Amino acid sequence: MRFLLLFLTLGLAAWAQEGPPPDLSPEVFRIARELRCPVCQGESTAESNAGVAVEMRRLIAEMLEEGKTREEIKAFFVERYGEWILYEPPRRGLTLWVWVLPVVGIFLLGLGLFAHFRPHKPLPQELLEEAERRLKEPPS
Amino acid sequence: MTPALLGNLGVTLTLAFSLLGLVLALLAYLQGDARFLKGARRLVLLAFLAALAAFLALEWALLTHDFSLEYVARNHSLNDPLWVTLVTPWAALEGSLLLWGLLQTLYTWMASRRLPDPWRASLILSVLFSIQAFFFAVMATVASPFQTLPNPPADGVGPNPLLQNHWMMAVHPVLMYLGFVGFSVPFAHAVAAMATRRYQTWVEETQWWTLIAWGFLTAGKVAGMWWSYEVLGWGGYWAWDPVENASFLPWLLATAFLHTAYVQRTRGALKLWNFALVTLAFSATLFATFLTRSGVIMSVHAFAEGPVGLVFLFGFLAFFLLGMFLLYRVGQEVQDPVVFRLFSREGALLLGAFFFLGWTLVVLLGTLYPLLVEAVSGAKVSVGAPFFNQVSIPIAIGILLLMGIGPLLPWRRTRPEVFRNLAILLGVLAVGTLMGFLRGYTPGTSLAVGLFAYNLAAILLLVGEEIRGRLRGGLSPWGFWGNRRRVGSLMAHLGVALMAVSIAFSQTYRVEQERTLYRGQAWEVGTVTLRFEGVRALDEGRRFAVEALLPTDRFGEVRPRLHFYPQMNAPLPSPHVVYTLKDDYYFVLMDFDRERGEWASLRVILTPLVLWIWVGGGLMALGTLYILWPASRRQEAKGVSPA
Repeated sequence: MRFLLLFLTLGLAAWAQEGPPPDLSPEVFRIARELRCPVCQGESTAESNAGVAVEMRRLIAEMLEEGKTREEIKAFFVERYGEWILYEPPRRGLTLWVWVLPVVGIFLLGLGLFAHFRPHKPLPQELLEEAERRLKEPPS
Repeated sequence: MTPALLGNLGVTLTLAFSLLGLVLALLAYLQGDARFLKGARRLVLLAFLAALAAFLALEWALLTHDFSLEYVARNHSLNDPLWVTLVTPWAALEGSLLLWGLLQTLYTWMASRRLPDPWRASLILSVLFSIQAFFFAVMATVASPFQTLPNPPADGVGPNPLLQNHWMMAVHPVLMYLGFVGFSVPFAHAVAAMATRRYQTWVEETQWWTLIAWGFLTAGKVAGMWWSYEVLGWGGYWAWDPVENASFLPWLLATAFLHTAYVQRTRGALKLWNFALVTLAFSATLFATFLTRSGVIMSVHAFAEGPVGLVFLFGFLAFFLLGMFLLYRVGQEVQDPVVFRLFSREGALLLGAFFFLGWTLVVLLGTLYPLLVEAVSGAKVSVGAPFFNQVSIPIAIGILLLMGIGPLLPWRRTRPEVFRNLAILLGVLAVGTLMGFLRGYTPGTSLAVGLFAYNLAAILLLVGEEIRGRLRGGLSPWGFWGNRRRVGSLMAHLGVALMAVSIAFSQTYRVEQERTLYRGQAWEVGTVTLRFEGVRALDEGRRFAVEALLPTDRFGEVRPRLHFYPQMNAPLPSPHVVYTLKDDYYFVLMDFDRERGEWASLRVILTPLVLWIWVGGGLMALGTLYILWPASRRQEAKGVSPA
């Protein structure tokens, strides 16, 4: 009774309850962590408590029960929401570049550094002569 | 006098003092007249006091529940506990800008007490005044904390519940801002040095400031990780969220700068690099603010949005271009006289800087990529934790390897004993990794164990060498502790190594599961057995709390909670974390039977070695503090090496 009162006060009675949630194994969370929560801002399906995320965890658990593999489950969500749902960008198409660019960038950075700091050639002869000459001159 | 009046007065006066100071400081530089400089220096304290008045006005408005201020109406309510009220100034955009601006005036004031020659002094003050003027101009126009409402409400909504759930919220933002703002001083020194062509001495003069800023930024990041772990209820501490990434960039650049500045201090090399790095690190703090305040990226941190983002983009571009323009000239005039050999201290430090820059590049690319794709083709893509983890691991391994051998390498060229040391270290690395394998760890975590042992061995070798040197010179071996730079940096390095191995374990062996328990039912997780005894509801005024009562056989009763805030339509889990030296037990109440309290759905997360991440972060901060702690004369003399 106390609880009922509590939720009426908060106006949360609309938060319908369908009965106890199912048990979720560690594997459910391992898969859910690789999927984006469709309605949240930058949270994975494992972290979020939004309705969709809860439902997705439930679905993952059911599909695991049915004996589906991790890849099959991920493919199911890709079909539903598009590749955007995957937190690890696929290494093809639009998102191939996100994998390639860091490697290219770091390579260029390294190349630039090497070129900049490679042992310099000795100073040109005329500069050395100039320095010699100045050393011999009396200080002005 | 009302808070709004005092606040507006404070903001306007700070802006006026800063602009006047900027003019005077520039006049001092252009006219070469010390009287202008004297005037500019007087304004520094006035600007700080005016900014302090504005900040106190905001606190005053909050403490007196002055809901005629829009900021107070949006972020404060009558039910807030005192400590929440006191930290509400940085719970949303305008207030946090005010805190940032206040800290900026504080840093300017402190920096003005130790200025070099008048030429550079006037330029340093010009840069600091213009940064200050930028912040207060933003507050005077698009993001005023003292905007009033025509019809004030009787009560406000209160701050975001996530922000009032943990005392860490009082600490984390302030530490971050102290770190961010701190880089303005080395940046100002760098600009002055570039403009007056005094390329060498500024790194020595700004060393204290760089360390202060870096130390605060590190402490701020670790505090943020801890907050995320304790509050968000997901059992993690780092999500590669865009906002985390944005503030990781200045940290990476600052760490690179800290190391290459050392090369310049000792060998006079890398002048151009240091100017570039400090310009980038400072610009990155503004860029981070642009990214996080503009709403262009989605993030759990998007507590505050508004037109401010664009203004920050312009501010970032202005300071960045100023730096780049001067850098171009330095590049024309300076050539490093030093030949870099890979097997020398400077070679290792340069390579380290390369890794940090590379990491910056990778994180920046990953964070901006979804934005770029959407801007160009309209398609939506996600770049998340799995990507960042995979690209960061090789870089982190490179850094950990360098961190061990680097400090053992002598400057300029290699000595034969270096190869002996290297052989020892590689041996330790191999043995450590093998031990990991034999204990059945994954290849990644085995390597992490090896790298930790390798770094530990490197520190022991270094301390051994130092002490032997002292004994040969007839000095007390304990004098080693007086060498603050050395000891402090070793402490920080040990902290990094410890953090790396704990991160490897906590990421690999984290186990997370969820179960629904009926009253009286027991559950064995890991090495603990818990029993569900029922739920209890508590009325805490500003929120309702429901806690599950779970007696355990190892840690007594644990009580994870769900918090119900009137301003949120979904409950917020408040986990119960039990720290142990080995595993962390993280209990979250997910759901419960709302009619009779017969069942509760619980998530338990077991994460190994998390405690050691905080210990490692603490060591990094302590090491910085140890270097900065003012040494007595006697200790300074002892710190001088016999050679």
